[in-house]
Amino acid sequence: MKLEKLVLLFSVLVVVALAISACASAPAETQIVTVEVPGETIIETVEVEGETVIETVEVEVEVPVEIEPFPEGTELDILQWSHFVPQYDTWFDPFAEDWGETNGVNVTVDHIALGELPAALTAAIDAGDGPNLVEMVFAPPQFIDGLHDLTDVNEQAQELFGEQAETCIASSYLPATDTWYGYCHGWVPDPADYVIDLWTEVGFPEGPSTWAELLEGGAAIKEQFGVPLGLGLSPELDSRLAMRAIIWSHGGSVQDENECVVLNSPETIEAVNFVADLYQNTMTEEVFAWTPASNNQGLIAGELSYILNSISAYRSLQDIDPEAADNIGFGPALLGPRGDQHASAHVWQIYVIPSYVEGAELEAAKAFLLHHTANYNQAVFNSKLYNFPAFESTVPQLDDWLEADPFGSRPADKLKVLATAKDWVTYLGYPGVANPAIGEVFSSNIIVTMMGQVALGEKTAEEAVADAEAQIEEIFDKWRDQGLVGCTE
Amino acid sequence: MQDNAAVDTSSRFSTKYIADNEKFLGWAFLLPAVLYILLLVGVPFVLAIAFSLADVTVGDTTLNFVGLQNFARIMQTPEFWQSLRNTFGFAITAQIITIILANILAVLLSSDFRGKWFALVLIMLPWSTPIALGAIGWLWLLDSKFSPIDWVLRYFSLLGGEGALLGVPKNLYYLGKAQLAQASIIMVYVWRMLPLSAVILLAGLTSIPQDLLDQAEVDGSSFWRTLFQIKLPLILPIMIIAILFSFIYTVGDMAIVFILTRGGPVYYTHVLPTWAYIKGIEGGALAEGAAIALFIFPVLLAAAILILRYSRRTEVT
Repeated sequence: MKLEKLVLLFSVLVVVALAISACASAPAETQIVTVEVPGETIIETVEVEGETVIETVEVEVEVPVEIEPFPEGTELDILQWSHFVPQYDTWFDPFAEDWGETNGVNVTVDHIALGELPAALTAAIDAGDGPNLVEMVFAPPQFIDGLHDLTDVNEQAQELFGEQAETCIASSYLPATDTWYGYCHGWVPDPADYVIDLWTEVGFPEGPSTWAELLEGGAAIKEQFGVPLGLGLSPELDSRLAMRAIIWSHGGSVQDENECVVLNSPETIEAVNFVADLYQNTMTEEVFAWTPASNNQGLIAGELSYILNSISAYRSLQDIDPEAADNIGFGPALLGPRGDQHASAHVWQIYVIPSYVEGAELEAAKAFLLHHTANYNQAVFNSKLYNFPAFESTVPQLDDWLEADPFGSRPADKLKVLATAKDWVTYLGYPGVANPAIGEVFSSNIIVTMMGQVALGEKTAEEAVADAEAQIEEIFDKWRDQGLVGCTE
Repeated sequence: MQDNAAVDTSSRFSTKYIADNEKFLGWAFLLPAVLYILLLVGVPFVLAIAFSLADVTVGDTTLNFVGLQNFARIMQTPEFWQSLRNTFGFAITAQIITIILANILAVLLSSDFRGKWFALVLIMLPWSTPIALGAIGWLWLLDSKFSPIDWVLRYFSLLGGEGALLGVPKNLYYLGKAQLAQASIIMVYVWRMLPLSAVILLAGLTSIPQDLLDQAEVDGSSFWRTLFQIKLPLILPIMIIAILFSFIYTVGDMAIVFILTRGGPVYYTHVLPTWAYIKGIEGGALAEGAAIALFIFPVLLAAAILILRYSRRTEVT
């Protein structure tokens, strides 16, 4: 093989690889937000595709938290997820930088995929260096020994902004150590998204309201129209949340309020059998290959009749096919056989400060958290009503926005059911808090595995629940030995 | 003047001495590689052993010795045993398929034909494409709803209709059925490793002395006899090297399984690296993650020693 030919071959390969990489990383079109600040009112204008102005909404600026300027050279490095609604990031980055300029802090914001956050925080804590402020999307109590106790900032926020949502408290406070390991500024409802015309055809124009109706209507839709439901049974986030919602609504749970393991109960077994029925009658094998994008793809393509998801899939559909978006309805958490109504939040937004952050940078991080919360109406608005506030008082406009969606829902009150979300939203670990053992059980997919094996007919519900509980007990005992889980009696 | 001359001479002498000192040069050239291995392989390896014997978590890496508790704990879970079986099952199956296909490809490519260089470029693409990008491409190809493969099968009425050869459902759900998902992962490993193995074998084939092949032709040896009795025995050592590279790469890889299935359906496609990551990093149990990952080491070490020893024994001079 001649050298020139080898060089030529190598060059061609490099060019092709670069071309493929470039295609893969081509930036998606983002929506543009222009912000003017006359006095104490922010006027926000949302533009879609750079042309069509949908709505202009005035959002009052809350009184900022008063702080002393920080010493020169103070840095605030924020690491957070790339928000599912890109407009949020477009708003957030200059918002944080503006605060930095006003207070003498050099602010930088980095965004990564939400799945990479645990690895990034692990690496930062282990190295003792990295970002000052990290936003996690699930309760991160397993990191507690490497994080600052944020009791002071949580207490200050409660003083300034009033009562904090229970789902947030349970996702940032660990009773076993009496520590606030995080600061939860928001959460995201996980309502039902259903295709109106399909559900109308089978006699449920408002969508199903109970799990039994979901089974009945879902089976009829699959039979008549060949369109399945989409509740994941795969090792990924949406599946884990959906399976927990079913257990809670049937009266079961992984642990009780004292953090004792109580999975193996008649209620859980009933829930597992229900999932097997639901899978066999209303779904296809695709639920075993579910990914976080499957909900969105299936709904947008009109290939799923019902999903559990935040409103981000619907927002995408509004941009792609407004008429199809009109055909999407939203429902609350479904009622179980005894009237229990619970669904997890879709994600929580929880800032943590690694313990290597000290001095002025620690104070700057805490001050920014309060400033961000004080202006949370902007956060909610710029997330297109995806984010819900931990402190209701910071977004007095929320119910009005849900009654008349500023982002063009037809009918305008399509999202009003989300105003009830605070009544049925729960949290990982419900009815106990999200502790490290609950985090490991969640990440290890034990519940999804338990459900999947019964749905596939590999185990009976009784066997699967007993096996899962044995594994969960081991995990709880391990974290209990470290003093991070309750129920020590 | 004299002093300056003496200094020059001594400097020239020492430079010459260093340049001629093979022992020194040997160490100097090896040092970067040794440092690289020590820092980026040795230190993490020792750290992994320390972690696996302690109760470290993602939030606290203080080493409190707990003996073999982590190993005992992971061995009680069915996910671990499935991961262990898959790790070696996938790797061995993929190697067998890869080496057969690589031999065929190398024999084809050793002959001259029009467009050979273009064919080579195409064949090398899977190897030159970043692994994550390649795996995402396969994720799209094997999608449950929108798989283009299914679309083609439906177009030719092989799928998605009454009497269709592959069944009535519109899709095959490659990643939603345990056996199909396992087969898909093996196929992607083969797709990834085939170019490297083929090129290594091609290099081996082209290094066979032409006079040997000419002699075989003169003696009337058929294509198959030449292949099995001359070419393959001669390239056996290099074939073993190709298998070694490919096996070690496959056993240590986590990207393909993580991107395609994340271990599902249920946990039937987990391999040790994905299970270690999910348990150790996502679950926060760093010690157990380290213990799971360490199970790869002794088998890889044994495989490497065995294969290298065999390769040396079969070397043809």
